[in-house]
Amino acid sequence: MTGAAIHIVDDDEAVRDALAWLLKGHKLDVRAYGSAEDFVARGTLNAAGVILLDVRMGAMSGLELFDLLRDAHSRTPVIFLTGHADVPIAVGAIKSGAFDFLEKPCDEAALVPLIERALEEDSRRRKQAEAALAKHERIASLSAREREAMDLIAHGASNKAIAHQLQIAVRTVEVHRARVFEKMGVRTAAELATLLAAPGG
Amino acid sequence: MSAIDASASSAASPAAPTPRPAATAAGAARDLPPPMPEAGLGATGSRAVGLIAILAIGFVILSLGVLLWLLERDEREEQRVTLINDALWAEQSLRFAIQSDQDDLARLASELRRGLTAPGLKTRVEHVLRNSPEVENIALFGADDRLRLSLPGGRADPATGPQLRLLALSSGQINFSEVTEAKPGSYGFDIAIPIYRDMAPDGVLVARLSLSDLLANHIPWWAGQKYQIAFTDSGGGVLAGRTPMTSPEGALSHTIVFDPPGKGLAVTVTRLDSRTKMVSRALIAAIIGFSALAVGSLLAMRSHMRRRTAAEQALRAEHAFRKAMEDSITIGMRARDLDGRIIYVNQAFCRMVGWSADELIGRGPPMPYWAPEEMDRTVQIHQAVLEGHAPPEGFEIKFQRKNGERFDGLIYEAPLIGADGGHCGWMGSFLDITDRKRVEEIGRRQNEKLAQTSRLVTMGEMASSLAHELNQPLAAISSYAAGSLHRLAQRDIEPAELSEVLSKLNAQAQRAGQIIRRIRDFVRKSEPSFAPVNIAGLLREVADFAAPDLRKHGVWIEDADWPVEVSVTGDRILLEQALLNLIRNAIEATAELPPERRGISVELSTDGAEAIVSVADNGPGLSAEARDRLFVPFSTTKPEGMGMGLNICRTILELHRGRLWHEDRPGGGAIFRFSLPIRVA
Repeated sequence: MTGAAIHIVDDDEAVRDALAWLLKGHKLDVRAYGSAEDFVARGTLNAAGVILLDVRMGAMSGLELFDLLRDAHSRTPVIFLTGHADVPIAVGAIKSGAFDFLEKPCDEAALVPLIERALEEDSRRRKQAEAALAKHERIASLSAREREAMDLIAHGASNKAIAHQLQIAVRTVEVHRARVFEKMGVRTAAELATLLAAPGG
Repeated sequence: MSAIDASASSAASPAAPTPRPAATAAGAARDLPPPMPEAGLGATGSRAVGLIAILAIGFVILSLGVLLWLLERDEREEQRVTLINDALWAEQSLRFAIQSDQDDLARLASELRRGLTAPGLKTRVEHVLRNSPEVENIALFGADDRLRLSLPGGRADPATGPQLRLLALSSGQINFSEVTEAKPGSYGFDIAIPIYRDMAPDGVLVARLSLSDLLANHIPWWAGQKYQIAFTDSGGGVLAGRTPMTSPEGALSHTIVFDPPGKGLAVTVTRLDSRTKMVSRALIAAIIGFSALAVGSLLAMRSHMRRRTAAEQALRAEHAFRKAMEDSITIGMRARDLDGRIIYVNQAFCRMVGWSADELIGRGPPMPYWAPEEMDRTVQIHQAVLEGHAPPEGFEIKFQRKNGERFDGLIYEAPLIGADGGHCGWMGSFLDITDRKRVEEIGRRQNEKLAQTSRLVTMGEMASSLAHELNQPLAAISSYAAGSLHRLAQRDIEPAELSEVLSKLNAQAQRAGQIIRRIRDFVRKSEPSFAPVNIAGLLREVADFAAPDLRKHGVWIEDADWPVEVSVTGDRILLEQALLNLIRNAIEATAELPPERRGISVELSTDGAEAIVSVADNGPGLSAEARDRLFVPFSTTKPEGMGMGLNICRTILELHRGRLWHEDRPGGGAIFRFSLPIRVA
C-alpha cells in the first residue's frame, strides 16, 4: 500500500541499519528513528504502516512510547523487538494492545511475514476507519427527520408503520426512504442495517 | 651446638667457603671482651683472710708492745740503778761539801779561841766566806748570846733562834738547825759550832748555808742536765733545785735523807726526760700509729675487696643473665667486624642457619648460609651495609640452612659501637619470617580470589544487560546476512553493495567479539600486574562497558572533561572493577528518581601528586548509619547484595597506594572519590 512504511525505532545504529537493509530488500518502505523522542518529533503518531519498537532505549523506553501512542489513539500496529530478558514485558504489552513481539536477533523468516501481516492489519484498520468516517459523514448529512426514519427503516419497519410512528404521511416516509438510501449509499434496508451495524459507527 | 657439629657435611655447604685462619679467629675474637675469670676466693675466703691478717697484726702489735714494755722496764731498772748511784754520789758530794765547810768553820771556830775580837778575825771570816760560797753568813755570838760579828754583814739576827746556839753551847757539839727560809725563796740551815776558850765555851759560831748555793756549787752541770737534783723537805716540796722545776709525772726519782742536818731534809734526784724516753715514746707512737694505719688499710682493703667481690658477683650475674638472654632470645643475632667477618653469633642464629658458632666465627663472605640463587642481591646488600647504607627499615632475603632448606629472613643491620665509643663493626638481627610470608602469601591469594569472585558476581549481575548488549550486534549480523541472502536470491544486488554490507556485518561481529573479550578479561583470575594506565582511557572503557546497564536503567553519564595526560601505575582490570562497582552503585541510587534526574557524573581531577576520580549521583545519599557501615564486609543496603563491593574496592585501591572515601553531595546525593598516586613518567 502506498504511504505505508515500516517505522523502525531503535537506539542501536547497527540494528537499525541492518534491519532497514533487510526490509528494503523486501521492497518495503523504511523510516528509521534513533530514539523514541526522535520518533515523536519527526514521525506521525498515527502513521501508516507498522512500528517496530525496541523495548530498551535511552530516556524514554519503548514501553513509554507505546503508552504515548495509545493515549493518542494511534491505530498503527506496533511490533516490539525485545532483548533476552524483556519477554514478560512484551507479553504484557500485547495484552495492552501491541500487535506482536519478536526476540532479537530476529529470524528473517519470522520477521517478514509478521510485518506483512501487520501491514495488512494496518490497511484493514485504515479501511475500517475510513469506512466509519464515511458513514459518520453520511449520517451527519442527514436531517433530523431523516435520521429518525433511518433508524426505523434499518429495523425493518414498513413505510406505514414508520408513517404512523412519526406521525407523518406515508408518502413523506417514501421520500425520506429514498433520500436516506441515497445519502447512505445503500439500495436496500438490509444493506442499511448492515452498514449501521458495522464497527466504527 | 655439638649435635649440629656432629652432622656436619661439607657437601651441603656451598662450594669453596673461605678458610678460617686461626690467627684471624683469635684476632677477630680480640674485639670481644675476655671471658670471666674463675671466682677466686669468694666472700667468706676473703673475710677469713682479712680476719687472720687483723689477728696477726694484733699479735704483732701486742708482741711489740710487750717487747717495748719489757725493754722499758729494763731500761727503767737500769736508770733506776744509775739514778740511785748518782743520787748517792750527789748526796755524798753535798755531804762532803758540807763537811768541808763544817771543817773550815770548825777550824775557824778553833782559831777563835784566842778571842772573838782578835785582829784579823774579820779577814779570816771573809776568807772562809770566799772559799765557801754556799756559806751565806757567818755570825759570831758570845757566850752571852750576843751577836759579835756578822758577815757579809748587815744581818741583824740569824734566822734561827737562840735555841740552836744554846744547844751548841750546852752540848759542846756542832749542831744543825732545821731548814728555814731566810729570804723568800731562799732556803738554808745553820750550823752552830761552839767556840771554846780555855776549855770553856766562849761563844757560838753560826754559819748559814744556802741550799741553792750548795747545789749550784757542788753539782756539776752535766748532772744537772741529766737529773733534777733538789733539796726537798719532808712533805716532798722542793726547797732548792739545781735546775728549774719541771717535775714530770712518773719520772724516776730517788730521795736520800740528808743528815746532817736531817730534820726532814732530803735530796731528791729526779731523772729528767731524756731523749731516749722521747725516742721510745715517739717510737711507740709511731708503732701504734703505723699499726693503726696498717689495720685501717687492712679494713679499707677488706671493704674494698668486699665491694670488689660484690661487683664481681654482680658482673658475673649480669654476664650470666646476658648470656641467658642471648641464648634464649628467638631472634638471631650476628656481630661482624668492619671487614664483614663474623665475630659473634648467638644460639638462635646458629639454630636458624644450622651451623655452629665455631663454624661461623671468623668467616667472611661468601657466607655458607647465603642462598646461591640470591647471591647477586645478597652480595649487593652486604656491600651496602659495610659502606654504611643499610636500609633502616630492614630487608628481606632468602637464606639457606645447612641442610639446604631455604627460609626467608628479615634482617636489620646497625653499626656496632664498642665500649670506647668507636665504630667497630656491624650488629645484625635476623628474624625467620618464612611462616609469616607464607601466611601473607595465603592472604594475598585469598584477596585475589575474593576480588575475582567479586568480578564474577558483578558479571552475573550485569549478565542480562551484557546479553542484551551482545544481542545488538548479533541482530545486526542476522539482518545483514538475511537481507543479503534475500537479495542474492532475487538477483537484486551489486557486488559493491554486497561487499559494503558484508563489511558492516564483519564490523558487528568484531563488536560482539570485543564485548566477549572484555567480559572474559574482566573475570579472568590473574595476578595483579602493574603497568601504566591512562585514567581518561580507563574511564571511557568503563563507561562503554557499563553502557548497557546505564541504558537499561535510563541512566547516563554526564559529559565531562577528562584530562588526557593523567597516568597511574596499576592493574587495569582491578581498577576497572573498582570503578564499575562505583558506577553501578550510582545507577542503583538513581532508581527512584524521575527520568530527567538520573544522570550521574564521573569526573577526573588532580591534586598535587594524586589523581582523583569522583562518581556522583543525585540519589538519596547515605544515612549516618549507612556511612558508618560503608566498608564493613557483608553490610549492604541492597536486597540481593552481598555487601562485599566497597570493601573489595577499597582493598584494590589500597593495593594501588590509593584511598577510597565518601562525601555528601551538596545538593543531595552521594559522591564516592578515590585517589591514586600519579605516575611520574
